[in-house]
Amino acid sequence: MSSSPYIPWTLKYKPRSLSEIIGNEEAKKKILEWMNSWKKGIPEKRALFIYGPPGVGKTATVEALANDLNMELVMTDASTYRTEENVRRFAGRASQYGSLFGRGKIIVFDEVDGITGSADTGGLAAIIDVIKNTRVPVILIANDAYDPRFAPLRNLCLLVEFKRLSVTEVARHLARICAREGIVADEKALRFIAERSSGDIRSAILDLQALAQGRSRLTYEDVSWLAARDRKEEIFNVLRMIFYAKSASSAKSAVNMADVDVDMLFEWIYENIPYHIKNPPELAAAMDALAKADIYRGALKETGDWSFLRYIIDLMTAGVAFSWSRKASGWVPFKFPERIKIASATKEEREMLEEIGKRIGKKCHLSSSRAIVEVLPYLRIILQNNPKVGKRIARWLNLTDEMVSYILSMSG
Amino acid sequence: MGYEMWTEKYRPRTLDEIVDQEEIVARLKSFVRAKNVPHCIFAGPPGTGKTTAALCLAHDLYGENYREYIMELNASDERGINVIRETVKTFARTKPIGDVTFKLLILDEADNMTDDAQQALRRTMERYSETARFILIANYSGKIIEPIQSRCAPFRFTYLPAEAIAKRIKYICEREDVDITEDGIEAIIDLSGGDLRKTLNILQTAASVGKTVTADLVYAVVGKANPADIREMMLTALNGDFISARNKLRELTRKYGLAGTDIIRQIHGEVFRLNIPDAWKVKLADFIGEVDYRLVRGATEEVQLSALLAKLVEAGYEMKKGAK
Repeated sequence: MSSSPYIPWTLKYKPRSLSEIIGNEEAKKKILEWMNSWKKGIPEKRALFIYGPPGVGKTATVEALANDLNMELVMTDASTYRTEENVRRFAGRASQYGSLFGRGKIIVFDEVDGITGSADTGGLAAIIDVIKNTRVPVILIANDAYDPRFAPLRNLCLLVEFKRLSVTEVARHLARICAREGIVADEKALRFIAERSSGDIRSAILDLQALAQGRSRLTYEDVSWLAARDRKEEIFNVLRMIFYAKSASSAKSAVNMADVDVDMLFEWIYENIPYHIKNPPELAAAMDALAKADIYRGALKETGDWSFLRYIIDLMTAGVAFSWSRKASGWVPFKFPERIKIASATKEEREMLEEIGKRIGKKCHLSSSRAIVEVLPYLRIILQNNPKVGKRIARWLNLTDEMVSYILSMSG
Repeated sequence: MGYEMWTEKYRPRTLDEIVDQEEIVARLKSFVRAKNVPHCIFAGPPGTGKTTAALCLAHDLYGENYREYIMELNASDERGINVIRETVKTFARTKPIGDVTFKLLILDEADNMTDDAQQALRRTMERYSETARFILIANYSGKIIEPIQSRCAPFRFTYLPAEAIAKRIKYICEREDVDITEDGIEAIIDLSGGDLRKTLNILQTAASVGKTVTADLVYAVVGKANPADIREMMLTALNGDFISARNKLRELTRKYGLAGTDIIRQIHGEVFRLNIPDAWKVKLADFIGEVDYRLVRGATEEVQLSALLAKLVEAGYEMKKGAK
């Protein structure tokens, strides 16, 4: 084990060169081509708009690129975009002159999503101004380039999409870090962490560090409890931001703060809607928004096309928030998603039920599922009220003792 | 008292033993006399004797050892058409001994097969028709693709009339030494709605729980068998209690393994029986169709059905407002 314990591994293993960035090959190629085009003079698109979900390496790519090309990064984030004046102060001069030391410059506006509401239109206008007149490369970074507010920006920029990383890509990177840290890790454990991250490598690395630092070995058992981990306070804040959102964009941005993946957040929202939204027409509208988000979830699963994610997020956050008046009626606690609790607790039970259904079906000429619905409820009542007869019937149906006690445990 | 399910104990063994469905039985008997059976479709609601008729036909055709000449498959259980095709291939490879020149393949719940699987099944049926005849069993013949339908002799099973069911109940009670009251019989007939399997399951359960089968006992048994029924779930939602309605939904799907599409179908049936304005029935039917469509396209059952329950909550609320 090397290393002082207090450096986050995201920093420690930050890519120094473009070649160390995982995945998104196409995007990297596009960026490099665009950078090279500056050598021949000012290109048609003076700005690059990099967009994609959190933690896939957007900012890291820009930093690695500057490092490779030995250029100076002039970087800023959301706090600057409040006013026109701030933007000009930050980028105005820099976009007109080269660096003092003769190095080339890249101006980077990170977290462009952070521009909120109409108060910031001045900031946005100033950014547009900078792009139109810049003599050095400008790069914008955001989660969602297709936010309507960015329409005027899109025409001026070359759009580059960063996609979520595959489980294999994330897991492979985690394995590399483990090797450098001298940790022997099960592949299954790393894949589990990778899967949970849904392509967000930053959160995967942070999870890995939390779980593996100080160990010489990491097994699946060491990580599997993560699924049940319950960062209640954090998720509660996120839910509050969604249910009681002041604006559509603040509801949407809550997703980025969530420490859980989108599917899990969806379950939290689904579970909690009826406890907060009581007025029937509003309840119906909120559930409808969520059900529509669910349709896109299905589409994403079917096609594997992550671009559906933006609609999922729009509908499950802003869609739910703007279905109702957002007036809190006293303090309402948030509840843990029942679907998750039950789904994980009863996988074995479901298999047991299936096998019981199969055995009954075999004797009674039915499919397993119909045997469960049409015969099992009656058998259960007989077993509960007349065990002697019930057990004989169960034997005739070839049910094991274990199955019988399972049936007896089903409440009526 | 018998120690097996009465549905099996009293399942007719021969065509002669089948009560009711006379026309169907007569046609099947003519197949037996000719020692030839075409491919058939047995269509009709559950508990009306489709599987029984197929088994009796086989018995009368091949004699006591008929099990050696037939194969029973359930399309809902067998994973995919490939399993069915492979099974048929092995099964149909050899001709039976005796004067019947083909084996019989009974494919239950055939209407649960996708169209693609049915196309493949059609080819299999054609290929092996020398040595194997198919009896396809389905609730809805409309769900069987046209090319298969046109190659099969259709048989339409209907719910058994109340008198036939009453007769069967009395016959079994006599044999099993069960005390049953007149209102007990009526209650069973009422609750089973012409489904003989359900009839016998209710009767057997009530008989093993109490000394005398009365209407009260029958209702208690059925109430326990279906703790959260779909109508009750809908009424709960209409009364404005979404959270309880959602819990009932969870109970139905998780504990009782009801599929989303089954629930949808039943909700649709109930909507038109509810005591609500017709305009709302249509509005709800529209949304039910939408949800059904979404489920087919791969949406999440519980989420979509919950959205439907929320619509019911809204409907109940609007109706109350309108009544004031």
